[in-house]
Formats: sequence, C-alpha cells, structure tokens
Amino acid sequence: MSFTSWSYPLFLAAVVLLYWRLPLRGRMGLLLVASYGFYGVWDVRFLALLLTSTCIDYYCGRAIAGERAPLKQVFTAAILPFLWLLGCSVFQTSCVKPLEPLVIAALFPVLFTALYEMLWRKPEAAQRRAFLLLSIVTNLVVLAFFKYFNFFAGSLLALAEQLGFAPGWTLPTIILPVAISFYTFQSIAYSVDIYRGKAQPARDLLTFAAYLSFFPQLVAGPIERPNDLLPQFTKAAEFAWEHIHRGLRLLLVGAFKKIFVADNCALLANHVFNGQTELNAPWALLGVVAFAFQIYGDFSGYTDLARGAARLLGIHLNPNFRFPYFARGPSDFWARWHITLSAWFRDYVYIPLGGNRAGTTRTLGNLWITMVLAGLWHGASGIFILWGAFHAALLTLYRLVPWLGKLEQAEQAAPVVSSPSPPIVGEGRSEGQATFAVALMFAFTLVGWAIFRAPNLAVLGNWFAAFVNWSPVADAWGKPALWLALHSVPLLLLQLATLPARDEVEFGHWPWAARGLVFVILFMGITSSVVSEQEFIYFQF
Amino acid sequence: MRAASKAFLIFLALLAGAELIVRVFFARNMAGRFDYGYHPTAGFVEQADGVVRLERSGGRRFFPQAFTRERPADTFRIFVIGDSVARGTSVASSYAGQLAELLNARGLKAEAFNLSLPGFGARRKHLVLEQALRYQPSLVILHMNGSNEFEDEREWRRREEFRDWHPRNWLMKSLVIRRLYEMKTEKVYWEWLPASVRNQRAVSDADAEVQAAFNADTTRRWDELVRRQTAAGVELARQRGAKILLLTQARSEKDADGRPRLNDHGLDAMVATSRGDGVGVLSMKEVLRPLDWPPLFADGAHLRPNGHRVLAEALARELVAKGLVPAPK
Repeated sequence: MSFTSWSYPLFLAAVVLLYWRLPLRGRMGLLLVASYGFYGVWDVRFLALLLTSTCIDYYCGRAIAGERAPLKQVFTAAILPFLWLLGCSVFQTSCVKPLEPLVIAALFPVLFTALYEMLWRKPEAAQRRAFLLLSIVTNLVVLAFFKYFNFFAGSLLALAEQLGFAPGWTLPTIILPVAISFYTFQSIAYSVDIYRGKAQPARDLLTFAAYLSFFPQLVAGPIERPNDLLPQFTKAAEFAWEHIHRGLRLLLVGAFKKIFVADNCALLANHVFNGQTELNAPWALLGVVAFAFQIYGDFSGYTDLARGAARLLGIHLNPNFRFPYFARGPSDFWARWHITLSAWFRDYVYIPLGGNRAGTTRTLGNLWITMVLAGLWHGASGIFILWGAFHAALLTLYRLVPWLGKLEQAEQAAPVVSSPSPPIVGEGRSEGQATFAVALMFAFTLVGWAIFRAPNLAVLGNWFAAFVNWSPVADAWGKPALWLALHSVPLLLLQLATLPARDEVEFGHWPWAARGLVFVILFMGITSSVVSEQEFIYFQF
Repeated sequence: MRAASKAFLIFLALLAGAELIVRVFFARNMAGRFDYGYHPTAGFVEQADGVVRLERSGGRRFFPQAFTRERPADTFRIFVIGDSVARGTSVASSYAGQLAELLNARGLKAEAFNLSLPGFGARRKHLVLEQALRYQPSLVILHMNGSNEFEDEREWRRREEFRDWHPRNWLMKSLVIRRLYEMKTEKVYWEWLPASVRNQRAVSDADAEVQAAFNADTTRRWDELVRRQTAAGVELARQRGAKILLLTQARSEKDADGRPRLNDHGLDAMVATSRGDGVGVLSMKEVLRPLDWPPLFADGAHLRPNGHRVLAEALARELVAKGLVPAPK
C-alpha cells in the first residue's frame, strides 16, 4: 500500500483509532496485523521472507544475549513461513510458482532448528559470535540473492561470453521484494547492537515481529536502531494530543513534499533522462535540478509521512534529512542526507573496517569501500556503483585539497553522519564563504544526481554532452523553468522558514495564524497537484 | 494540550470559509462546471429579458455571445457546432462570423453564432446541438472531426469520477479544491509544459485508463460512435425542422515522401450517405484541394483566419447552391 494511495488515509485512521483503545499486547497484535496487511498489498508471498527474517533474528538476538529458547518453540516459529506460503498456494493457485520456494520453506524449520541446537553446543564466546554470524549471513544472503544475483550472474555470463565461453544459460527472473534492503539492514543492526552490548533483545516474538515490520518505516526507512525503536514497543505510550498534532503536521509536510514537489518535478526530470529527448544545456540543467528536488521531495516526503504515521501512534522515528542542499561539503551532505543509512554504513562498515584510525591511505580505502557499497545498496547496477564512487571521490577531494576542506570545515572525521544536528548555513564563518561552499557542494550534488538518475551510461554521456550544446534544438525551456520554480521555491521557502529550528517540519515558533495559513497553502498545494499517483523512488531499493 | 490547536482551527476555518463563499456567491457560475461538457444545459444562460447568453460549459467557455430566445422572424439564424478548429481564435475571424458577414453582404439578414468548444467530440457536440435546437436555428453547421473522441471519453470518466462515492474522489467534491486543481491544469500545466513533457504520463486516473485502452479496436469503436452520433444529430435536426450541414474536417499531413497532403480520415465517406433533404455536406478536403492550402493551416488541424475565410466563402456558395438559405431580398 502506498502512502499516497486513496486507501492509506482510511487505513491509517482505522489503525490509530483502534491502537489507542488497546492495551500494550493488543497494540502489538494490531501493529503486526496492520503491517503485514500493509505489506501484503504489494505481494503476499514475500511476507514469508519477512517472517523468515523475523524468526532468525529474534532467536539469534536472544541467543547472542545468552537466552536459550526451547527447540519446540524455535521449530514452531520457523515453520510459519512455510505455512504462510502453503496458505498462499492453496488460496491462490498462481501464488507460488514454481514449487522451489515452498520446498525451501519446508526445509527451513528443520535446518534452522538443527543449526540452532548445534550452535548452542559451542563455547560461550564462539557461540555468541556464531549466532551473530548466522543472523548477518542469512540477512545478507537473502538480500544478495533477491537484489544482486541477476546483476552479478548476468555480468559474469557477459564476461564469459566476451572471453569466448558461452554456456547459454538463462538466468531466472527474480522479483525484488519491496523493503528488503531496509528491513535486512535493520535486522543486522539489531543483532550487532545486541552483540556489542548496546541493546537488549526483544523478549517476545510478537513484539519483535511488530518492531521489524512496523508499517510506517518498513518499506523505505528510516533504518532504526534497536535502542531507539524497540523500547517504544515494550512500553505503552500514553495518549497525548501532542502526538496527533505533530503527526498530522508531519503528514501534511510529507504529502506536500511528495505530491506537490516531487511528482511535479518528476515530469521534467523524466523527460530529460528518458534517453530519447534531444538535449541542450538549459534542458540538461533543468532536468537535473528538477531531479534534485524530485528525489529530495520524494524521499524526505516519504520519511515525513512515515514519521507522521508513527507519531500518531505515539512512536518517535528518527529524522532522515536535515536541509541537505544547504550542505557545505560531502561529509556535511552525508550528515544531512539519508541520515540513518549514512549512520548505518558508518557504524557497521566504515568503523569496523578501521575508520580513520590507520593513516590517510587506509582511511581513504575504507571510505571508498563504504561509499561504493552504499552506492550498490541503492541498486544492482553499475550506475549506482559509479554514483557511490563519485561521492567517494568527492570525499577524497575534500580531504586532500586543503582549501576545500577548510571550506567545508568538517567537524567530524568520519565520512558519514556523526553530529545529530549539523550547523546551519553560515554559522561560524562569513556569509559569502558559506554561500560559496553551499553552491559548490550543490553543483557537485547535481552531478551526482545525474549519475544516479541516468538509466545507463549512454544517457549519462548525452547529458554531459548537452552542456556544450547551446543551440535551440530542444523545446523552449523558459516556461518549464517556471514550472520547476513553482514546485521547488515553496519548498525552499519552507526550509528557510524552518531552518532556525533545525527541524524541517518545525514551525511551532510561528504565530498560530501564520501556521494556520501555511497549513492551508500546503494543503492547497497538495490538492492542486496535476500529476496522478506516482510510486516512491526508494521503494525500488 | 487541547484537541484542536488554534492553527488547526484557523486552517479549518479558512478552508470552510472559502468553500462557503464559492458555493454561495459563485454557485451559478459553477452550475454544470463539473459535468465536463456533459451537462445538458451548461453554457446556455437564459435571462429574464428573453436573451440567451453563452457562458461556460464544463471546463471550457463559449465565446461570449448572446441571442434572443425567439428567433426574429426575418432573420436567418446559424449555429456552428464544432471543436477548436471551428472555434478559431474569435467569433469574427472564425468561419461562423465570416459566413454571417458574407451572407449579410449578399442582402440576407443573417446571424451566426459560434457554439464550438475545444476538444468536443461527437457526444458532447450532440448535447450542444440538442440545446441549440431549442432556439430555432435556421441552419446548424455541424463541424465533424474524428479526433476528439479520446477527450470526450476522458471527460466522461472525469465526470463519473466526480460524481462517484469512491473515497479517492472525496476531496474533489469541494468546489474550491476542484476549481484550483483545474485552474492549475488549464492555466499552468497546459500552458507551461511542452507536449513532449506532458505526453510522458497521464494526468489523471481517467486519463490513464483511457490511454491504456487506446488501440485499434477503440479507434474503430469511436469511429462508429461518430457515425451513429452524427446520424442521430441529423435526425434530431430534421425532427425539429432545422436544416443541417455537415462540414467534414481535413487535416494537413505529410505523405511518405514528406509532401503535404490533405487527409479526411474517412469522414467524407462516413457522411456521404447523409446528404439528402435538408441535409448538406461540405468536404473541407474538396474545398481546399484546388488551392495553395498549406499556408491556410496554423498547424496540422487548425486554420488561420484566411483559412476560415476560404471555408466561409465555400459555405456561402454551397448554401446558396443547395437552397439551404433563402434567396436574398
């Protein structure tokens, strides 16, 4: 179910109304049913995958903390994915085809229970590490299979064919399950944090299942840490109107960003990057700026909608964006853009690799590995690897060129977020220098977005080539530029207005009449949007 | 903390106030506004003094014109019903206005009204025809064009959507919201974005549905619809005692070698059998073919004022020749 579909507001209203009337256990049950229903609208089959991940990480998490569950209980939980798939194939004959997934699901409870029992026989330290490995490896294998198998296998086949070896194999069509990149990362964070002693495991399967599948953030984050989110599932929140007010405000701003800004800017971005349009420099620039606002409105809008829905249930989710286009350099950018993913890569990849503790060369190596993996996380394609490498190159450049480093005045050593609240533009330096730093980084960001958005290298090459072409080969761009301004300037004004509060949706310091007027403008912007419902970009990741 | 904050209350009050104002003060202006041209009387405003004013039908506005409900006994009244081609850029420069001028110059007391609206296909033109026949036309010129059925279909679905109980349409029940949405679509979306950008995706669900269903079968069905609807229009005019002339559209296209050619898209053949008592037929293709016609077109379909002039002259000749107008006094 999409946040911008007509049915979602009704679904959310029903969940919120019921939720506040139930005791804690009832709330968890409701959240689980609602979340599975929410996810099942896309594809009911893949709920089996979510169930599998839930089962593995719940029992691994408890085992890492030294809590052993009865084998019968483990087996009963592990058989649920099979029963689910079986139910799907009984009630919907076309649901499970071919039969392999059903066979694998049937073997899973036996194998998992046996492995669980076997690992408990190891000495304590090795046992904890083994359960951690089991959790990480299973999550990564599932992610790798569904997301990357075709990419890597296809690349290998192509390479083999180039070398004169043509096996003639046909790769299977593997559907990428929605949300898999997000919930696998959240599961890994859960197991690692328990292993590191930073978090306590969930005490019951229902709570953990509700935590892992929590519908507002299931599909595209924010990727939450167990310490931030899990305690909110174990203690019943008290109803307060503040939750409702704040939640509705987040929903309004999120819908505005998605429907008014992103979907309308998408018209220009899609046109420029469709590979068929003849481009000149103004159109190339128009397209990439439109995409910058599209992706920001789309993803930060999604995050606001997720946070708003969670807040209506009294649950706080972490912000994912803090004025990213006001960043003064690449480190600053990653402290403001997709913050929870940046932090994930910092804590679970960059720092374990050694971070910046072993000299410049090693630090740069770690940084490149981290950023290329972050690029690959976005999608199984060379273009995303290139995008990750581009940002790694930017981070390298800002580290190696002193005046660029000074321009950014990075406060953190890591390439990714470390400050929960980065300084606002111009703080602590001259306005001119800050503006130049922001403009330069925005220009770099645009190049990055061109790489990200281009469907292939040929389109990317055409986009770059367009900058030497100032002839009027394309449609007139003046009025389309007005269209872009109409849909991006209100967002920038909103950002400038909320900048002092360092929170993109916080205008509580405004007079109430002004706030009311802003609500009307945002609402009218949403309802006047010309474009029909479009899917969120990050759902494909 | 209270259930509703002051800011939220002012938000509700502003929305409710705007809706109230629109419903109280602009209600007449809004009548039939969301029938998208399918309201039977939308656009024809009968005043107490016996004058009929032409206003808005659906999202489109007739050229402002007025005529008496009862046709003056000595006046030859012509209604031209069509789409954007027949509409032209003004009444005076369209062939409707120029035809009245030509007939008046021949000593006939004639009045011609341009009842054409952009994008109107056979179904919506038929509704305009039904309404126009109430005002005693001496002659109706029905401008036929087979390329607007897509828009007719889409607008029908939009009308159905607006009336539908489905929750996805609830917000659009508000006149303020609906009007704002349509204003943006018409004045900004259509004006600011080139067709190459707009054509990438459907604007609305209705648009998407119609686009998805667009194929050779649909086109055949729509051609049949145009044929049936035209026959029904001719029959209706006959029943009401009005003469009718079918003017078939020709488009300016290029053949395989890149040479300009006129294409009637089968309309001439479609109406060939309609010609008869009280029914005239004029083929735009036949009118234009002997001339240096490419400069008469502003684009593939629309004519420049001199193109309208050529049509008006041909119409005047045809009307006299076929006895569809009385002999000048």
